[in-house]
Amino acid sequence: MINKPFILASAAVLLSICAQGQTKTAVTSKQAKLADEINLSAADIEVFKDQTKQKVEELQQYIVTLGSKDEPDEKRNMAEKEALKLFYAGAQMEISTSMPDGTVQKINRPMSKYLARLKSLPYTKVIIRFYDIAYVSNFTKGPDGKYYSTATIIQEFTGYTKDDIAYKDVTKKEVEIIIDLVEDKFFQEKRWKIFLGDIKASETKPSNQ
Amino acid sequence: MTHKPFSRNFYSLLVCVSLLLIFVSTKSYSQNLIIGPKPDGQVFTARVKQFGEFIARFNFTADFNGEPIDSLFSAKMTRSKMIFLLFDLKDKRTISENPGYPDSFNRLKSDFVVDVIRNKYLLKKNSTGIIAEARAKATFNGKPCLIRLFLNQETSSGGAVKWVLLSAKSEIFNNLPPDTTMVRFIPPASNETDFMNLKRALEDTGHLQDYASSEYEPDYLALFFYLIKTGQIRYEYVEETVYHIIGIPGWYIKVRDFNRNELNSGWLITDLKVNSLQLNDFLKTL
Repeated sequence: MINKPFILASAAVLLSICAQGQTKTAVTSKQAKLADEINLSAADIEVFKDQTKQKVEELQQYIVTLGSKDEPDEKRNMAEKEALKLFYAGAQMEISTSMPDGTVQKINRPMSKYLARLKSLPYTKVIIRFYDIAYVSNFTKGPDGKYYSTATIIQEFTGYTKDDIAYKDVTKKEVEIIIDLVEDKFFQEKRWKIFLGDIKASETKPSNQ
Repeated sequence: MTHKPFSRNFYSLLVCVSLLLIFVSTKSYSQNLIIGPKPDGQVFTARVKQFGEFIARFNFTADFNGEPIDSLFSAKMTRSKMIFLLFDLKDKRTISENPGYPDSFNRLKSDFVVDVIRNKYLLKKNSTGIIAEARAKATFNGKPCLIRLFLNQETSSGGAVKWVLLSAKSEIFNNLPPDTTMVRFIPPASNETDFMNLKRALEDTGHLQDYASSEYEPDYLALFFYLIKTGQIRYEYVEETVYHIIGIPGWYIKVRDFNRNELNSGWLITDLKVNSLQLNDFLKTL
């Protein structure tokens, strides 16, 4: 007697209630059951794949702005704030550095701290460039009903002290992408939205391996 | 006399223009922040950037740009060529100039590719035959150690996918040497004395495993969970991930990330063997 749209709407509401207080690696069993009932079609997923590229470009532009010492503080602060809005709560940045002995050291920072540091790097001038290409993998549904994917981007960073290059690197960044069902307060409805998740950054080695 | 003011004005103007030029040039240089193409974008395109991309190229479902393969692409690039490109082309076993070059690995590669093409084998993205080995940095009682965690994917009836832990291996678990002296055992009549010998056996803490069944196999994952829970192991992060794939009937391939600025880079096949083992038996060999 209960129609499908009603079940879906109820499921969506319950999902949003359950979403509070859960982590990305744990959901309630009730939510797991409901998640099975809400699916994105293949066509929807293709649309989201295109939107993911736009989202990643948005992040790249914010990073370029907040890294630039030439931009006014207000604009850089705004870029930091807007960049953070793109991320899922609790997203982290993991930076790996290759040590001279061949081992790899990794540092994890909350995204907010990473972005704040990027804004206050000890260089007189910072130039950040991104390759105009990004690779986005197909989305896969997780047990929590969200859809997961990864985008790969390449960033070139140059830090100057006066006119001299003090530091330069090229890093490959793997950005976790999450499509989640969120409540649109204005329209009072649930809709799928793209978020960025954890980022793994590793320096691309110029030498042969 | 009239020359001097002109000269002063001229030089002032020159200084101003120079300063302006310097300012403009510096400004435009600093504004060089647009997202733009890079000369070695070709490497990025050719590079197997993600493990998922490795599978797509192996299955010949995506071209170098991640787009579905069309007739134009397949006319230039066959699936067998694509699979050959997924091998580490710097593997010393495939370079004839290397001393002791046996050619056997090249033959094995050819046999593998022929078999895959002939049987149209595909790698299922969420196959249980794809085992990820996460080489994790940790500390055990304050000392640094490496723990190898093995995971594969579970798919629910609703199509949801998750990675699950299969087993754990580490040097720190190798403190259970097998008994070669056969002097440790619980005597045959112990049952009649309510196993009084058990106390003696369990005080022999360095050789507890010798009192277990000959078929006893320690569950290192349970041990890992326990040590994490009691705080004896402190997990830090994964240093490297490699994939062991037994999802292609008759074969085993190992895939790892080659981080180098070359066309043949990213997630590539680093080893290939004939395999007939199923998951549980295969895991024991890792």
